[in-house]
Amino acid sequence: MKKVLATLLTCGLLIGSLAGCGEQASVAPAPETKTEATVTESTEAAPEATSSDRPADHVTLKMYLEGSNVTDDTAVLEKVNEYLDEKLNVTLEPIWGTWGDFDQGAVLSLQGGEDVDIYFTCSWTLNEYNQFARDGYYVRLDDPDNNLIEKYGQDILNLLPEVLIKGSTIEGANGYGIYAVNGYKDIACQNCWDVNVDLLKKYGYTVEDIEKADYFTFGDILAKVKEGEGENFYPLLIEGAVLERMVDNSIIVAGDSGSNNLLSYYINPKKTSDEGAYGNVILNKFATDEFKKFCEKTREYYLAGYIDPDMANPDKANDVRANKQLTGQYLIGTQSYSLGYEIQASTERGFEVAMVPTTPAYVDTTSSQGAMMAISTASKNPDRAMMFLNLLNTDPYLFTLLDFGVEGIHYNLNEIGEVEFTAERDNYMPWTNGLGNVTLLPPQKGQGADFWEGFKAYYGNADEIPILGYTFNPENVENEFAALANVAAEYVLPLCTGAVDPDEKIPEFLAKLEANGMQKVVDEANSQLQSFLASQGK
Amino acid sequence: MSTNNKKQKRNRLQSVSIPTEIIFHLIIGGFAIACILPFIFVIIISFSSEESIRMIGYSFKPIKWSTDAYKFVFEMGGQLWRSYFNSFFVSVVGTLISITMCVMYAYALFRRDFKYRKFFTFFAFFTMLFGGGLAPTYMVCKQMLSLSDNYAALIVPALVNPFFIIIMRTFLQTSVPEELIEAAAIDGSGEYNTLFKIIIPISKPGIATVSLLTIINYWNDWFLAMLYVREPNLYPLQYLLMKMQNQVDFLIKNSSVIGVEASKLLQDLPSTSLRMSLVVFIVVPIACAYPFFQRYIISGLTIGSVKG
Repeated sequence: MKKVLATLLTCGLLIGSLAGCGEQASVAPAPETKTEATVTESTEAAPEATSSDRPADHVTLKMYLEGSNVTDDTAVLEKVNEYLDEKLNVTLEPIWGTWGDFDQGAVLSLQGGEDVDIYFTCSWTLNEYNQFARDGYYVRLDDPDNNLIEKYGQDILNLLPEVLIKGSTIEGANGYGIYAVNGYKDIACQNCWDVNVDLLKKYGYTVEDIEKADYFTFGDILAKVKEGEGENFYPLLIEGAVLERMVDNSIIVAGDSGSNNLLSYYINPKKTSDEGAYGNVILNKFATDEFKKFCEKTREYYLAGYIDPDMANPDKANDVRANKQLTGQYLIGTQSYSLGYEIQASTERGFEVAMVPTTPAYVDTTSSQGAMMAISTASKNPDRAMMFLNLLNTDPYLFTLLDFGVEGIHYNLNEIGEVEFTAERDNYMPWTNGLGNVTLLPPQKGQGADFWEGFKAYYGNADEIPILGYTFNPENVENEFAALANVAAEYVLPLCTGAVDPDEKIPEFLAKLEANGMQKVVDEANSQLQSFLASQGK
Repeated sequence: MSTNNKKQKRNRLQSVSIPTEIIFHLIIGGFAIACILPFIFVIIISFSSEESIRMIGYSFKPIKWSTDAYKFVFEMGGQLWRSYFNSFFVSVVGTLISITMCVMYAYALFRRDFKYRKFFTFFAFFTMLFGGGLAPTYMVCKQMLSLSDNYAALIVPALVNPFFIIIMRTFLQTSVPEELIEAAAIDGSGEYNTLFKIIIPISKPGIATVSLLTIINYWNDWFLAMLYVREPNLYPLQYLLMKMQNQVDFLIKNSSVIGVEASKLLQDLPSTSLRMSLVVFIVVPIACAYPFFQRYIISGLTIGSVKG
């Protein structure tokens, strides 16, 4: 009896789903309206309607996330799974990886072929997107034989800025395509001078003076402030590598993160979508005139006492910098910017902070691959995983629930619709930027009701650099690469903070790089870049 | 007369000259200080205030003392005691099982009349030289043996240590005469009886040494937890600490890519002094366990060759 019933039910569901498909196709490919209200409505009105996009078999999806701080997820998962069950017939089991254990855990889990469906991936964790896609751990989502994105992920394509899709399209194990869904977060890079406005005003300068000047003409301002504030005050609070990039307009080349960023591409500081001074080539950045000029200036500032010697000590630099930033013991700092940071910094530090950009915001491969979700090739239900990712990135209710928790327990909305967290939130803090499309969230307290409009305008309109999508693959030059990384580790920080004499150290540094095969690496990178550009039709 | 006698006796026993003795004392004393100093340093850092660490870094003389870190540890409550319990539980149960297996394995290898003695010696020894590598080990443990999110995952992978087996076997070879086993057999003692009633009581020093090494192994282990445990309820103490440290390191390393958020995230993580206070919490119990084993270890060092 039971068997007969089961067969009947299955048949019924099958027919229902077929009928549903036909209906959808004939009426219109209307984008599903995904709010809680419509769902409950439709279930009440016509149960067959929901079963049309609700697959018949129940599956459990496991998702491995990065950067979480979650100790109690029961309340959230109950709600999430109730909703997902209704929508996709799916139960979600998140694995809350943390900053410390995600790297090793995710890599082993991938290599061990564990039954996890979705992984967080990006350009800077150990399960690095490009490499793992090349090695065949991630499902190609736009595979011509089984185009998951076309079948289940159309809504994502409509929502994400085009640059993101472009940045994630790479050469993987299964051809040139998309191997992960991008998160929509602060996807653009913009380096800024972090200016202590209160102190600046004390000496009769304004933010415009900083805007008008550049690194090479800061000298007078720095001298005056140094004189006024005394011997133990260092007006320049810098992160060596960032400073170099800001001054020279050189950017990180994706795929090169393991080597202290030996390789460099020079962008156009006025209009980042145009080619830079050197054209579309990869350079050994330490051999350029820009680098030499930068080091000489930095050395001059260092000797004049504008730069804290602690900045050249990798063990201390971070702590000292954080402390001086908080207490305002600096005039000009270096900062990679994200929208709204000057407001946040001003409140945190208790004085007025201004951010003066050195270039317009731009999107490069690294920043566009900052946070993504890939489907594992070991997944038994890649179709359902894609459906889930589509829903997660397009449905404000689901995304807010998974990220902020349950309304009334983890947060409350105030009168203008901003989120105010409760104490419960401490037990449930996933990493927002690692989850996906953050623009679906309601604004947080202090951000203002139209925060996400501004966010989309700022990041959605950021220019892409000419070589967006290019990633260096060090496979052929691995030995040289490792040796060079060691050389760079010895020289880069002291040179970029002015702690050593560039006239003496740069030639020494370059000779050592040359001896360890720098030219071979640069040539390899350029030949890869040329074939990439050719495939792009540039 | 009596003083003269004493003098002679001393000279006979300690045939090293006074200057040599001074030098040796200095060397050994210096070594002892080198061992104890880092730990004292850790204690001092754990009692330093956060501002002091930020201003002058780690120092033996912090600007300001504070017990905030310990307050925080005690307020951390649940997770800390839970992890404490886990560490104790895993160390005690793991050591008991591990030592039983180790002694039985070593005893079999020690018996000359055991036919497959050579094969099993090689079998244990081989794993010391060659391992399968991390990924295959992980797959076998996690998928075939389902060692995941349970206490077994923290105990089983470290259960058999070939090095300890070889130490134990060598100990038995040097301190247990084979005639003893023959005598026992003649008196009608069965194999198990011989092992548990005769061999084990006389090899206590060896067992104690290996036990101490095993218990330290289990107590200090965080790697197994990192691989196989995702449930915070099962975290041992060492892993809790390791996790905090890793988080801080990772965020600092990747601060340029994560951007502004990284500094915000770093602020929420446990401070240096807190991590140091956890180190104190970890070291103290195991340091307390040491004196109990010490007696046996010293006797383990002195017997053997002397008896010859």
